Order: sequence, then structure tokens, then C-alpha cells
Amino acid sequence: MTAVLPWVTLVVCLATTLARIPSALRGENRDVFYIFSLITLSIFISIEAPYLVIDGWLGGMNIGNLVLRFLLYATFYFMGIKIAMAFGSASAVRAIRGPIGITAAVLVGALTIYFFAITDTRGSSAGMSGLTWGPSLDGYAAMGRLYPGFVAACLVPAIWRTVASTAPVLLRVASGFLLLGLCLLLLSQFFPLIPFSEAWLRVLINYSAAMATCIGLAGIWFSKAYARRKQRLLA
Amino acid sequence: MPLQSKAFQRWLHGVAPDASTADVCRIAGIKRTTLAQQLVRGKVAESTLVSISRGFHINPVQALSTFDLYSELRGDPVPPTPCELVSQVATIDLLRAVVDRSEPGSTPAPHLSEPPHPTSVRNWVDAIDDGELRHRVSLATGIAPQNFSAHLTANRLPPELAVATSRAAGVGPAGGLVAGGLITEAEAGWPPDARRKALDAMSQSSLVTLAGERLLALGKTLRRQEQDHERTERIWENLG
Repeated sequence: MTAVLPWVTLVVCLATTLARIPSALRGENRDVFYIFSLITLSIFISIEAPYLVIDGWLGGMNIGNLVLRFLLYATFYFMGIKIAMAFGSASAVRAIRGPIGITAAVLVGALTIYFFAITDTRGSSAGMSGLTWGPSLDGYAAMGRLYPGFVAACLVPAIWRTVASTAPVLLRVASGFLLLGLCLLLLSQFFPLIPFSEAWLRVLINYSAAMATCIGLAGIWFSKAYARRKQRLLA
Repeated sequence: MPLQSKAFQRWLHGVAPDASTADVCRIAGIKRTTLAQQLVRGKVAESTLVSISRGFHINPVQALSTFDLYSELRGDPVPPTPCELVSQVATIDLLRAVVDRSEPGSTPAPHLSEPPHPTSVRNWVDAIDDGELRHRVSLATGIAPQNFSAHLTANRLPPELAVATSRAAGVGPAGGLVAGGLITEAEAGWPPDARRKALDAMSQSSLVTLAGERLLALGKTLRRQEQDHERTERIWENLG
């Protein structure tokens, strides 16, 4: 199942991105289209077959993975701000975009490059799972989980308030999916506790997080379209 | 807890010994699947009993009173207090009454709309509350105060809780059932013009004060709704 999950996630993300093209062309919320594109691109690069090709172009020393990390950081930065603004959490916007958030992003980015540089990363392998793991690779992986986790932690309270509110049911369900995705990212901070033999569990959590987030964001869009349609029919 | 299905079936047999389930549902205007589901679960909703009673022209209060849980409803109906009666006047009717009082003869007073109105339950509980009522109800029934509040906000009152609240307040047992929308005021034995008379008997000052309280509460509810609406719109504007 964990072999299929990444592809399913990619299909879901790609479908949502394509579905947003018409509204993006009309100039409605282009940011959301860019966010979906970033998520889709990240998922695409993270899957083994495309990864090996792309990393091959980049010299076969897993620079592709480094690129993926920074793509993810960017995705979470932009998505985090957009979601925090949507859910009306000024404190979350400040936390992500303010001095604390920028410091965290720069620090994580710098440490990611540092850990990458001091590791022998020759030999392309998706998720760098084929390399000999040492403390430096552990640190590298931890950085990759830390920043998304930080953004997720900033967003969880505001989204929870909406899930528990009296908002339209579809919107609450969609927000629930988003919340689930972010909570899985928080859970992923405990990956070091998962034994190496159970690596499938990490794959499951990572892609489920991406899928739930994507479904949640698409669901919010859908709930809006549905409510507007109902309004028009009533009018 | 709703009615036990065994007791319910005994009652139904007494009411309509020859009617099939399909007939009963058709006459009562309820879905067959709904009744079947309730019977299978072993618990029949009071509203089902009320619909069937109406279908067979039986007073629903009398029908309810044959169940042990609602034995308090037996006997002659206890007349409602003036406060209870006024609590079941819709806010808009109350405001009309204020206008009529201030400018008599401008328009003939229209009929008061039937209870329940959008804040019936809260208004009824407020009308019979001596300040300790909620506490006594939660002691007697074990319902948590915040759950009781949630019912009031949602304008819902489960029949069993309605009767327990009446009991704790020392008023007639059927008033809460009217406020909760289970039965009509006529079925509860309230005289047809009782609410109008109670309203007319109020002094102008208490009428205006009550209208003011209702408006204040309405304003709060509307503000909350508007805030919820704004929150939803902001999410859609940013992510939709």
C-alpha cells in the first residue's frame, strides 16, 4: 500500500491543481493555485521514479533532496500565512511571518544546508534511504520535519476553533481534514522513535499528511462553491 | 430517555388494535422506516407518539401520561402561570404589543403566532427560573449545566428534561412541552386567549422592560451569527 500511496497523493494534488487553473486564469485567489502547484511539485519530486531522474540531472548526489526540502519550506511558509489569515489568527500570521518565524526559517534552512554539506550524500536514493545514516543525516531529516511542524503548530488552534464552531458542515469537515494533515505533521516529529524496520509507517504518515491537507484545502474551496450555488438557487 | 418500545406497542395496541403498522404511519404522517428503526432500537421518540395520537384524535398529553415516565401529566391540566404564558409570545408579537400600547388604535392587534417561537425554550426557562432552577434541574436529572445551556441556545428541550424542569420549578408539567414544540398550547389545556390576556394584563413598564430584555438577547444572538458568518466568509475569501 505504501508503494501506491505516493502516487495516489500525487494524483489528488495534481487533479486539484488542474481544477484550479480556470479560476487562477480569472484571477481568483492565484495564491491558492501556486500553493497547490508547490505541493504537487514537492510530491512529484519525492516519489522514487521521478526523483532518480531529476537527481540524475543534478549530479546524482541527492541535491534533488535538498531542493525538495527548500521547496517544502517555501510551501509551508506561504501556505501557513495564507491559512493563518483565512482562519483569522493574527498571532499565527505574526508567528510565521514575524521575527520568530523568519529566524526559525533561516536557522532551519542554514542547518539543513550545513547537515547536507557535512554528509557523504553520493548515490541517488529517494528519501536518502539508501545512504549510511549517521548523526548528520538524522539532523538533516529532523530539520526537514521541524519547520513544517512549527507552521502546523501555529495553525492548529485557529483551525480547531473553526472545526468546533457552528460554520457550515462542509466547511467544518474540510477544516477537519486540514487539521488532520497538520496534526500528522506534528506527529512526524516523533519519527526517530520509529524503528528502521517500520519505515513504511513514516511513508504512510508523510503522504497521509499531504493528502489530508490537500483534501482539506480543496474541500474548503468546494464548500464555498456549494454554499454559493445553494444561495443562487434560493434567490 | 424516550419511551420503551414494549410499553409503546402495548399503548398502540390499545389505541388502534386493528391497524397495521403501515396504516398507523399513513394516518400519523410519519415515515415507516422511522418508526421501524425506533422500535428496533427499543426506544420510541415522544414526537412519534404525539403524531400518532393526533392521527387518531387522542390528546397527546393524555397519551403521554399513560407512560410511567410522564405520569405527572395525568389528571386535569395545571393552568400555566402568567409568566409562562408571556414567555411563549414571540418577540415580534411582544414588540407589536408595545407599539399598540404606545399608540392605541393605530392597527388592530393581529393574532399571536403559535408557540414555539425562535427563543421559546430559553424564554420559558427564564420565566420560571428563581435563580436556582438550573442548579436544581442538574441535581435532579444529572444533566451537566453546560449541556442544559446548549439546549436553551439551540431552542431544544427534550420532553423528559422539560417535565423535570417544570417539576423543579413547581409549575404545570406541560408548559415545557409547549415551549419545546412537542405539543400545542391547546393540547396542553391552555385556554385559546390565555397568552393574549396575560400580555394585556402586563403593566406598560413591565411590558417594555421585557421587550427590552428580549431585544438585548436577540442582539447578542445576531451579533454571534454575524461574527460566525464573517469568519466563514474570511476563510472562503482567502482559500476558496
